Amino acid sequence: MGIRYIKEPGLVDPVMIAAWPGIGNIGLIALDTLRRSLRAEQMAYIEPYQYFYPKKVIIRGGELVELAFPTSEFFYHRGGKRDLILFIGEEQPAEGGGIYAEGCMAYSMANLVMDVAEKYKCRRIYTSGAAVATIHHTARSRAWAVPNAAGLIAEFKSYDNTVLMSDIEGRGGEGNIAGLNGLLLGIARRRGIDAVCIMGEIPVYLQGFPFPYPKGSRSVLEVLSAALDMWIDMEVIDELARQSESELTRLYEKLPDEIKQQLDRLKESAVAAAESEGLITEEDKKKILEDMDKFFKIDGGGEQR
Amino acid sequence: MSGEPTVNQGGIHGLKGGVLVVAWAEDAGGLGMRTADYLIQSLGCRELAEIPPEGFFPMGGVNVVDDVARFPESRLYISDRSNIVIFKSSVPRMGWHHFLTSLLDIAEQDCGVREIYTLGAMISSAAHTVPRLLISIVNNREIKAALEPYNVLADNDYESPPGQKPTLSSYLSWLAGQRGIPAVNLWVPVPYYLVPIDDPRSVKRMVYFFNSKYNLGMDFTALDAVIAEQNNRITQLFEKSPEIKNMVRRLEVGDGLDGEDSEKLAREIAEALK
Repeated sequence: MGIRYIKEPGLVDPVMIAAWPGIGNIGLIALDTLRRSLRAEQMAYIEPYQYFYPKKVIIRGGELVELAFPTSEFFYHRGGKRDLILFIGEEQPAEGGGIYAEGCMAYSMANLVMDVAEKYKCRRIYTSGAAVATIHHTARSRAWAVPNAAGLIAEFKSYDNTVLMSDIEGRGGEGNIAGLNGLLLGIARRRGIDAVCIMGEIPVYLQGFPFPYPKGSRSVLEVLSAALDMWIDMEVIDELARQSESELTRLYEKLPDEIKQQLDRLKESAVAAAESEGLITEEDKKKILEDMDKFFKIDGGGEQR
Repeated sequence: MSGEPTVNQGGIHGLKGGVLVVAWAEDAGGLGMRTADYLIQSLGCRELAEIPPEGFFPMGGVNVVDDVARFPESRLYISDRSNIVIFKSSVPRMGWHHFLTSLLDIAEQDCGVREIYTLGAMISSAAHTVPRLLISIVNNREIKAALEPYNVLADNDYESPPGQKPTLSSYLSWLAGQRGIPAVNLWVPVPYYLVPIDDPRSVKRMVYFFNSKYNLGMDFTALDAVIAEQNNRITQLFEKSPEIKNMVRRLEVGDGLDGEDSEKLAREIAEALK
């Protein structure tokens, strides 16, 4: 079991970009948008059996006709300026039952992804996901960049709307990247390959809900566009972001005034946070999350649950 | 490290054309396990092999059920007087593919298994007095045809909705199909108010199927006695409570109960059968 190649294209000095499901599906939406826009073709997949439980069964006339597993697929694109390998996983192999990869299976899968990167001599690897931030959903999401080598910091500091962990209030340059997005950075470093995780911001109050957050995905795509020196068609992601914001605003209007007022304080905090003491304390954040949770579980907003 | 199956000394006896019957713990009403236990006892089965838990279950302590500490168990039993092989197991929490292929390896290579049946219960809103249906999901058309003489329903259409994963029995059936082994997932709808207790009628329906199909010459006396005892206790409850009797009558004619009545019926039946 392992990697199965459908075709083995000749690629020059490619870059690999990888994404899995996570909060707001930010990385996944970004990469899927890129894959569609580039019309990238499938080149390989990872056999699922070792890593995943089946996701779907189809029975017709009493006969089991299909058992489908989560996919982990590699795509390629030969570009004018840059050849790309895209890796899109439908699930993270989580032995602990959560959504994020952990344990031996996660390590094994991350190594398989790296095997493809090494085989094609990828010069850099990007992973993408979500950064939970004290921002309002009407604000522009920033992209947080975490490289696996200090030598990459200057490059990412130079990109528009991009911050490092040390730019985030209260973090002091420290943090944690859960699941395969983080694991891949570590394994790439062990193999001597540059890797960077690009995370689009998602409002803290949406982190526990199953809403996609394409605004965060757009921020990821903006950084990739700059880093790869490549034009990316944003039309589709912009439309998704518009729909998402309109849906969230509709939901927001249904919130009790007290919760709305708390959320409104976040409209100013994102800008202020990078420069001074945050307007939202940890206590405020906790209260917002508790109130949101209470509202969605007990008081209403049922259609979104 | 994942556990490899261990076979008891002198266990294998050159079985050919074996039939594997698989029961999972945590099944609604314990139907699969109760059916497997009845078959094991009636056929005088002995333990043949086990799949050790490491690699398939989180080793973070034990669960306590009915005051007793339980540890995951996955054991294979064989009968010297029939070609039935029975596998009783806790539902693995990880390493499913390895677990199921280990089972298929030992079943196919060491026990000559050529057909597989899994046992399971569906929760039903029908009354306990209604005859039990036997529903099958098969992995090939030939075995579907072979079930026709046994009054087994085999025409379901189903597509698991997003987020709802297939059953482990479906997974086993699919893997068996990859090896060309016919497999059948058998399901009996169990009245919801008997799910937390026991439904001997459903057990009998399952056992009756195997007895008919494989000429096992089984004795149903003990099972019939359990059914009669349950009937008797429910009849006594009806005599004491016409309201409960009326609720069951409504289920018999297909009238659903509202939430409050449903809960009351389940509570009263549980009390009566305690």
